[in-house]
Amino acid sequence: MRQLWTMTRSDLRQRIRDKSVVIFAIIVPLALMAVLDLVIGDAQDEPIGPVTVAASVPAGDDLAAALVGALDGLGGDGAGGLRVTVKDAPAEQVRDLARNGEAQVGLIVPDGFGASLRSGTGKQVTVIEGDGGIGTQIVISVLQEAIDHLEAGSSSAIAGSRLGLTPAEVAAAAQSVAAARPSITLARGAASNEQLSMSGALVAGQAGLFLLFTVGFGVLALVYERDQGTLARLRSMPMRPGLVVGAKALVAFILGVVATSILLTVGGLLFGVDFGSVPAIAVLVLCVVTASTSLMFIVARVARTSEQASIAQSIVALVLGIAGGAFFPIAATGFVGTLLDLNPISAFIRGLGITYGGGGIGDIGVPVLIMLGFAVVAAAISRVIPDRGAGL
Amino acid sequence: MTEHATRHTPPEGPPGDGDVLLVTDLSRRFGDLIAVDGVSFRVGRGETYGLLGPNGAGKTTTISMVAGLIEADAGTVTVKGHRMGPARVEPKRHIGLVPQELAIYPELTARENLTFFGRLQGMSGTTLASRVEDVLDVIGLSDRAKDPTKEFSGGMKRRLNIGIGLLHEPELLILDEPTVGVDPQSRNSILESVESLSTAGMAVLYTTHYMEEAERLCDRIGIIDSGLLQAEGTRDELIRLTGDVDHIRLDGSGDTVAAEAALLALPAVEQVDRERHTLHLAVHDAPTAIAEIVTEATSAGMRLNDVQITRPNLESVFLRLTGKALRD
Ligand SMILES: Nc1ncnc2c1ncn2[C@@H]1O[C@H](COP(=O)(O)OP(=O)(O)OP(=O)(O)O)[C@@H](O)[C@H]1O
Ligand SMILES: [Mg+2]
Repeated sequence: MRQLWTMTRSDLRQRIRDKSVVIFAIIVPLALMAVLDLVIGDAQDEPIGPVTVAASVPAGDDLAAALVGALDGLGGDGAGGLRVTVKDAPAEQVRDLARNGEAQVGLIVPDGFGASLRSGTGKQVTVIEGDGGIGTQIVISVLQEAIDHLEAGSSSAIAGSRLGLTPAEVAAAAQSVAAARPSITLARGAASNEQLSMSGALVAGQAGLFLLFTVGFGVLALVYERDQGTLARLRSMPMRPGLVVGAKALVAFILGVVATSILLTVGGLLFGVDFGSVPAIAVLVLCVVTASTSLMFIVARVARTSEQASIAQSIVALVLGIAGGAFFPIAATGFVGTLLDLNPISAFIRGLGITYGGGGIGDIGVPVLIMLGFAVVAAAISRVIPDRGAGL
Repeated sequence: MTEHATRHTPPEGPPGDGDVLLVTDLSRRFGDLIAVDGVSFRVGRGETYGLLGPNGAGKTTTISMVAGLIEADAGTVTVKGHRMGPARVEPKRHIGLVPQELAIYPELTARENLTFFGRLQGMSGTTLASRVEDVLDVIGLSDRAKDPTKEFSGGMKRRLNIGIGLLHEPELLILDEPTVGVDPQSRNSILESVESLSTAGMAVLYTTHYMEEAERLCDRIGIIDSGLLQAEGTRDELIRLTGDVDHIRLDGSGDTVAAEAALLALPAVEQVDRERHTLHLAVHDAPTAIAEIVTEATSAGMRLNDVQITRPNLESVFLRLTGKALRD
């Protein structure tokens, strides 16, 4: 125990002395927050959009109407909500409207769309992308999603007709399947109680991104020690080999907790964000630091040299940080969406959204489980994969 | 090359009381390469044992197993009766390692480096503090104790590297080519401190590819090449193994013919060649025999102007055993 503490203290002293950890864990992220805040500051209170959809929809087609109806789900009055206006237009004008900017999206649903879906043959729906930003992209992906679900619904309708249901019953079933589609989750505005303000998202995102660098300094010291020869000497000392690894984990953990706490506190003060319940935030910080530390042990295990380690560390940090929404909100559904949800940085930011919205310890169960689960899996992987160098 | 047959056999009998280190049939391979191949030797208290061999001979690999840094594929290492291995704690209390590669922290000062490793060795308080100052003094770094080692010269780092290994006064000091890259003066002071530690009773395992160091420091030497311990013994035993003898050249005047006859009668003298006023002698153990030879030649009526002794060295032993030069 004494040896563990000796190593931890010595490592902390060195990390602080070589200053890079102070720079990368605290100064750079704060500076980035300030820059990003300037860049997006103006757009801060404006909702994404608004988006006008010029739509040509055959009259009396209930499934075509359901398709357009999907866009209504995006409306809402939340701060992050997307305002979508659907403008009826004849099919031949839709293209022009989308081109000349009167509409950002054109939608042409062919005659007989509903009937073709029910018979399982399928008909081409045309979506025209006009000028526009994220809002346009969101509308298009929502339409795509809705069409997919309608097609899924249509196969159950076909199955239904084989069972001898009446056409009306089949239509109702198809519509209910379509209506039961999972609501499309936008990073902003989907569930207002998990939503951070723009500044809040910025502070949390940067804290999450740089946390991966910070714990990297702690864990990857193992690889540096091997390169600098001191690992060999440590191994000749009368102590269990696991203590060396344990000390690195402890250093990473301490650095991570301190840096993240500073970033959330200072960032919150600078940009006027109150993240809410301190105990809940503390739990989130401890969990995300644990998950990040475990992850870095995989990097330490895989890297052969210090250079490889720092490159791998940067890649992991950027991928998870960006996917977690460190720079801008990311939305995805399906498999990729699930994958993104399992990202501990996303979970951390989501957790902060909950505390920001007034949630306490009792409300952050899901993100906490995701982060701890991630920590366990990463730790297990780091023990299982073959050691490429550091000899942990 | 017939001497290849003189491959060393393991030490016989049970470990003696004086054995600090006992290495038996140690082997280690890296992939297809056999880095260490059945190496056995023992080092007693107060004894300095040298592993002499060229680059890639397997010295560091052997030492890494002796110090419990890496696992052996076969064979055993016993330190003070404790079986050594990477996960063993007890035998590591008795060793001090000076790795071939520098093993010091650049951000820490010399004193902090020493204190850090001293704590890991289990030292503390005033014992540790005073021992750190002693070692700083021995390695000549007292006046630089407060500087971060990244500001040190190469030789200063080497000296600190050695200081850390002997800080806790281990019973077995393991030095892996400690003098490489050190200026002659520092080198001499390193060798002197090893000598005095050995005199104080420390067992020393020393690897080098400098023959002069092995000759000067080591009580016994193991010659290692391609992972095999080719031969082992004191310097003189190794040289005798090759069949080489010492040569003495006597220059002078007077009755060299009578001197030749008288010298040939001495048991230490194997052969004498006379060439005008010069005698070339082949003798066993010239340093011991020289007094008798000089007396005998003088009393036979030869007046000596010059005496020269040439002894075969480990370099020639090495060449004979392996067919290679020590330094390549
Ligand atoms: N980790 C390793 N992986 C693969 N091969 C290795 C490894 N360590 C040593 N070797 C090989 O084992 C052989 C012995 O190496 P070792 O370092 O023990 O030699 P050495 O006698 O210490 O040489 P030197 O005088 O250059 O220090 C060499 O051929 C070397 O390439
Ligand atoms: Mg070596």
